[in-house]
Parts: sequence; C-alpha cells; structure tokens
Amino acid sequence: MGFIGKGLIEGMVVTARNFVGSYFDSERLVTVQYPEERVQVPENSRTFPFLVYDDDKDRAGTMRCVACKICEVECPPQCIYIVMDRDEKGKPQQRPKVFDIDISVCMQCQICVEVCPFEAIKMDNDYEKSQYGRFDELVEHLPDLLKSNKYYNKIKPTEASAVDAKLKAEKEKKAKKAAPTAAAKPSAAAAPKPVAPAAPKPAPAPVAKIAIPDDAPFSPEQRQWLSGFLSTISVGAAPVAGTTTPSASGAAPAEAAPATEGAPATEAPAGGWPWHDPGLGMQQRLDLAKDKPLADKLMAAMAQTDCHACGYDCRGYADAIDSGAETDVSLCLPGEAETTNMLKKLLQEAGKL
Amino acid sequence: MIQPLTEEKRYTLTPGSGGLIETQTLEVSIGPQHPSTHGVFRMDCVLDGETVVALKPVMGYLHRNHEQLAERMAWLGSMPYTDRLDYFNSMTNNWAYALAVEKLAGIKVPDHAEYVRVIMAELTRLLNHTCVIGFMLQDLGAWGTPLLYAFREREKILDLFEAVSGSRMMCNYMRFGGVRVDMTDQDLAVAKDITSRYPRFLDEFEKLLTNNEVLLGRTQRIGILPKELAINGSISGPMARASGVEYDVRKADRYGVYGRFDFRVPVGDVGDVYDRYYVRVLEMRESIKILQQALRDIPQGPHIAPEVKLRNFKIPPGDGYGRIEGPKGELGFYLVSDEGGKQPYRYHVRPPSFINLTTLEDMCLGQKVADVVIILGSIDIVLGEVDR
Repeated sequence: MGFIGKGLIEGMVVTARNFVGSYFDSERLVTVQYPEERVQVPENSRTFPFLVYDDDKDRAGTMRCVACKICEVECPPQCIYIVMDRDEKGKPQQRPKVFDIDISVCMQCQICVEVCPFEAIKMDNDYEKSQYGRFDELVEHLPDLLKSNKYYNKIKPTEASAVDAKLKAEKEKKAKKAAPTAAAKPSAAAAPKPVAPAAPKPAPAPVAKIAIPDDAPFSPEQRQWLSGFLSTISVGAAPVAGTTTPSASGAAPAEAAPATEGAPATEAPAGGWPWHDPGLGMQQRLDLAKDKPLADKLMAAMAQTDCHACGYDCRGYADAIDSGAETDVSLCLPGEAETTNMLKKLLQEAGKL
Repeated sequence: MIQPLTEEKRYTLTPGSGGLIETQTLEVSIGPQHPSTHGVFRMDCVLDGETVVALKPVMGYLHRNHEQLAERMAWLGSMPYTDRLDYFNSMTNNWAYALAVEKLAGIKVPDHAEYVRVIMAELTRLLNHTCVIGFMLQDLGAWGTPLLYAFREREKILDLFEAVSGSRMMCNYMRFGGVRVDMTDQDLAVAKDITSRYPRFLDEFEKLLTNNEVLLGRTQRIGILPKELAINGSISGPMARASGVEYDVRKADRYGVYGRFDFRVPVGDVGDVYDRYYVRVLEMRESIKILQQALRDIPQGPHIAPEVKLRNFKIPPGDGYGRIEGPKGELGFYLVSDEGGKQPYRYHVRPPSFINLTTLEDMCLGQKVADVVIILGSIDIVLGEVDR
C-alpha cells in the first residue's frame, strides 16, 4: 500500500480534478441554474392529469370525457370527483358537470390515463404548480383541467399523434358500420356528441328519487349526489319499485324530449327507467328490471352512462340487441366485461344466443 | 464486551472504563429528527462514557398502512404505492410485486420485457449502491464530496428513468405481464452509454475512498456482524454477503432471465462496515457485467403479455410469494387471493431493510456512539420500507 497517507493524497487528487474539471467538462458540471435555465423535460415525463378537448371554439361540446367515471373508480388515492351533467329534465348528458382533481392527493401514477377508453384524460408535464394555499387552491376544477388537443400534441407529439390516428380510425370504422343500417338509426355515429347549451342550469331536484326535504340545507349538487347515494342504499334493502319509481317518474325522464340531433334518444315510458342511473351497481339495476321485458333487462345490464361508445345510447343499444339488429354484445365500454358477460347470460336465458 | 444493563441497573453507578472515575450510564435518544437516521427513526442508546451498552431501535414513525391499503384496492392500484416503499428503488419494488402477482395468476412474461426489467433493476442497483456509499460517507463526516459525486451519477440514471417511465423516482413502470411502455432504441442507447461510462466513475470513486486511511480507520473492525447471526437473523442482501453468507436470490431463484447471465456474487469475510462498503462496490461491477450482457442480448418482441387486462383483473383463489434480490436484500410480496379475486385478501411485504435493521443492537454493542451512525448507514435502510 505504500506509505501512510497515500490514500488521502490520491483522494485529494480526485477532488482537485473534479473541481478543476467542473469548469471545462460538461460531464462534471451538471448543475442547471433553474429559474434562468430550464431542462427540456422528456416527452414521457408526467405530472398531473388534464382533460383533452378538440375544438377551441366549443370546449364543452368537444370535450372527450363522457363522465363514465372509470378513472374515478380506478384512481388509487381517490383524488378524482366527477358529477355527470344533466339537462333540465334530468337526462344525462355525456360530459361531466363537475370534474375535480385534488392535486394535493394525486400521486401522478397515470392509472387514470391508462384505464380511460376515450383518450380523454392525459398527463401534463407542467411542473410549476405552486400555490399560496393548501386547500381550495390545490383542487383543479373542470375549467382548469380542460386543455386543447393542440396543447397535447405540443407537449407529447409522438403519443398524441398515435392517439389522433387511433381516434380517426375508430371514427371511420364506426361511420362505415353505421352506413348500412343508417335508415334504421339515422347517423348515430356520424353525429358526435350533442352540443349542449353553454351553461346548463343545474337541475334542481328532478333526479331526486328519494325525497329529500326541500328545506334541507343542500346545494343542488349535493342534493343530486345524496339522492343517488340514498337510492343505492335503499335499493338493496327495501322493496324497490315503491321507493324509487314514483318520485322519479314525477319530474324526470317522462317528458324527455328527443333532445339529441341525429342520435335517436329513445323516449322513456311513463314509469321511467329506475335502473337508468350510473350510480347503481349491476345487481341493483337488474333487480329493478326484474319483471320487465328482455330489452329492459338488457338495458339494465349496461353502464347507464349513455356514452355512445357503442354507437347508441343505452336504450338504443338494448333495443338493437333485442331486435337482432346488433349482434356484437361487447360494445359497452364503461360496462366492460361485466356488461358483456351479463348481456350474454341474459340472451342465453332468453334463448336468443 | 460490556453487557447491556437491565432496566433497574440503568442509572446506578458503574465503574468507568479507566477505572479512575466513577461514571453514570447515560440514555441518549438519537432521532427521530436526526439527519443521520436516514428518516424518522429513533435509537434509544444507553452509553457508558462513549461506549454503547444498550440500544433499542424504535420504528413506526412513517407507518402509512401500506398493506391494509392494498387489501382495499384492485391489484393494479397497489403498483404505484410500491414505488413509495423504498423510494430509491421503485423499479425493483415494482418488479417484486409484479412477480408475485404473475406467479399467483400464472402469467408468462415475454422475453423482451424480462430483459427490460433486468436492465431497469440493475440500473436501480447501481444508483442505490452509489448513493448508499455516499450517505455512509456523509455519516462519517465526509461532508458532501462523495455524496454529491454519487448524486451526479445517479442523476444520469434517473434521467433515463424519466425518459422511459415518465417519472424520476416514482416510476410505476412495471405491469403484470411486462412493462408499461417499451424502451425505445434511443433509451437503450442511453443505457448503453451509462453502462460504458460507469466503470470509469467507479474507479474514480474507489480511488477517492477505498484506500483512504481515514475511511479505513473509521470502518474496519467496526460493527461486525458474525456469519451465524446473519443467517439466524434472516439477513439478506449485501449485508449478509459482507458477513460471508453466499446467498443471492438472483442465483438461488434465477427469477426472470437471470439464469442466462454470467456474474459472480461477491462475499466479504469479516462482516464489518468496510466489508459492507466494499461488497457494494464489487456488486456494482457485477451489475455492469449483467447490464452489458442484457443490452447485448435483448431480443425483439412485445413489452407486455397481450392477454393481461388492465381493468377488472381477477386472480383465482390461491396464495403466492414472489421475491427478488432488491438492492437492499430479499424483497418479497406474499399475496393471497380469495373468492372474487378482484383485490388481495392478504398482502404482505417482506421488506429487506426492516429485517436487516433488527440486528442493529448486536452490531452496536461495545462500539463508540460515533460509530453507531456509520453502522446504521452501512445497513442501508429506507424508512419508507421499514415502517410501510
């Protein structure tokens, strides 16, 4: 080993070389003077999610999100909160009214992006998110979350162009599929999403299937959520039809106008479709449709988001399967395998498959 | 060796080491808010003069209910949480969990994905060992220099991780049946570049440290862990190997494609802090060998098994234990699936740093209090994993 202190001197030579080298060698000088200099983040880099819309002029109408709540369910820390938009008559629109992401809870895991069947939610790479507060400031609402497809293409060119190509191919495929049966279902696929009024008034109580007293101190959103929640509970326990249907039929889908242009929004019968609520579980929905005709049961097996991922609304898809016009039972994206399997089972039970 | 005192005797007068002055034992609480404990961890030391006569590790300050959370969540939902166990090595944590689920569900991983996993895991080992040496030297009082050299190199690997997985530390990269996104040719080129440059850095790092008289004086014959105790205490990883236990899960289990690589398992003979340092250096050199072979042989193919569903992923009832050789030791996940199979019925982590930490008192008895922090540093703990 030589003499005592040799190791020390060798070490000092290394430090000296690093010190001098840091003035000349970029490999040894790696510090970036942050606020003045910025490193280009890699394309894959991710921070927090945002929602994609296609057209700058009509943000709400071209939003890709259909409020199917898949991401809300799958989010590991449960930081997403979605309320589906409904028109004055309580008919679900295929877009969120409330879409909140609590970025103080979000752990940037990207699982919402992976599970989204509509390519609606994507990861941003903006890392400068500091705020002067810890609470409301860190909750991102729908307007903060909406960002254009152009922006998405700018931050993640490779990924975004692949997504665009995929969406285009899907659209063409749908259009082709719809063409032969166009007479029966006029341009169900061609019409994108119904363009809704810019600021739909929050429906007051129409969706309230369980009467919450009018003077109860709830905001319309809370009221809506509560009624959904309560109906979920009561459906399991109480004799169903009694509690849910009467009040529902009073205001809600009974006089639902054929609102959407093109896509035939099937009118609800006088009794309403008590199972037509995405908040209910599969079994609860099926229980509600127990003694109804096959088409109703089929409809109850669907995810009830009316998301048009299959090319129909939930009613239309059920009717199409029932009449034999549609043979593919795997089209319900939000319902996924659960719905597909249940549809198969119901058809088998009815001897149709 | 001085025996630990019993509770009653703790504050009685005991003869001092010189025999001239009578001294009292002194109870010192190191931590939880102390930089040398590598997180929120407390050591209750009883000192006789400067000598440790008893030491009680106190854990649990960073408990986050990891296992119970996972039992309330779909299988995939736990994957990002495993990143946060040992936040230095999220890639290997991901792998251990994915491996356990794959074993349980009987999923076959494509070859290409296995190679990508090996590349990521060995890069993780490089960065973990580099950093732990840096931290250990920091504990010795080598303020800054080795640690910052280590961090400089680590940053290059983290840049690659960010380019591939999207995040520097919380990678969330592995999926059941493969990896989330494939490595592009560019990423592989960067990995090759890092691999080819790393030996040079290691040479420099060793020149700075290995023969340094101060380091030798402070670490040799300090904190000896006998071989028998290492085996009985179920110690794993570099710490067991430094004590002479020739055990490496990569060799014992040959999980993934580790059977195809040619590498050796370095073993120490004394089991002191210096051995633990040097075994890690040698392990990094072996990791580079594995990386070179993996980057040379990586086959083309899918990066994930196509039949694995992302949502509504269900596992038939049963239980399985998946383990890998993490940078800190044997990292295992024990999973039980019951009826329904949507989420684990039981989810248990075998964290290497927690189990390695259990021998802390045995290593510290009779040592000086200044050496306690080095001994702790040489165990290589991350409190996220110890407390879960």
